[in-house]
Amino acid sequence: MENIVIKEVPDSPYYPEVNFNADKGICEISGESYMEETFKFYSPLLDWIVRYTDEVKKPLTFNFKLTYFNTNSSRLILDMLDILKKYQDNNGNVTVVWYYDPEDPDMIDEIEDFEMETGIKINLVELE
Amino acid sequence: MNLKDCHAKKVLSFHGPLTISLLSFISNYLKLIIKTDQVLLSRLYKIFVELTQNVSYYSAEVREVEKGIKSGIGWFILYEYEKYYLFSTGNLIKRNDAYKLTRNCTEINSLSEENLRVLKRETRSQAKIRDIGAHIGLIQTSLLSGNSLDFNISEVNSKHSYFTLSVKLDK
Repeated sequence: MENIVIKEVPDSPYYPEVNFNADKGICEISGESYMEETFKFYSPLLDWIVRYTDEVKKPLTFNFKLTYFNTNSSRLILDMLDILKKYQDNNGNVTVVWYYDPEDPDMIDEIEDFEMETGIKINLVELE
Repeated sequence: MNLKDCHAKKVLSFHGPLTISLLSFISNYLKLIIKTDQVLLSRLYKIFVELTQNVSYYSAEVREVEKGIKSGIGWFILYEYEKYYLFSTGNLIKRNDAYKLTRNCTEINSLSEENLRVLKRETRSQAKIRDIGAHIGLIQTSLLSGNSLDFNISEVNSKHSYFTLSVKLDK
């Protein structure tokens, strides 16, 4: 299964950096997310997670390092977490970690909301 | 509004097509020019992006800014007062959308923070994957500001109305 690597581009900081590694079973998404065509950007990422959980079926660690996402992006992040929860419910080994800025109290509320909506446990780690 | 409130400083304003490149540039410029604590600056930044993107996506006045790329037209103004920031946006809307928008803003203004979060979760989970709509952006704006949405809708003609929105962010 191919990996997904999307590097951050200074001219378009509204796209996050993405690194989905099927060999290591580690996914990371970092930076900011407030692009215009949200579904177009996130659709391949959602497809990748579905394929990994359907075909590879190995442990998966998902690291969120997003410092800002708009409400459109939050809908697609919710979809990613839903797929991960479904995998977990089918005995898949999933760890979700959210690295957050301690100076951004609103991010904790966002993460709590994601947990309540999906039922998945999100581990919190302070960004250094 | 007291006397001190009258001493407002206009920080930024713009009227025209609100493209993603422009919004991104200005939102990051805001981070440079506003000297305040990180929590307030972060909230101002998030409100700026949500509300200007609502104008960009849902304005009834659209212009082709590049071949094949259209952007909504509207305006925004950021004022700084002694005790708060005031951010306002305005754009043309379809007259048929006025009722729904009024209902949504009125509902948001009637809810406590906890109930707003419940509404946000419900609205998000029920939203179509390709179009989450303007509603959740308004809910998020109200949550971030901690103040009610000051909105006005006035009739322009048989097809269009004009929507203005102001939100206060206390220092």
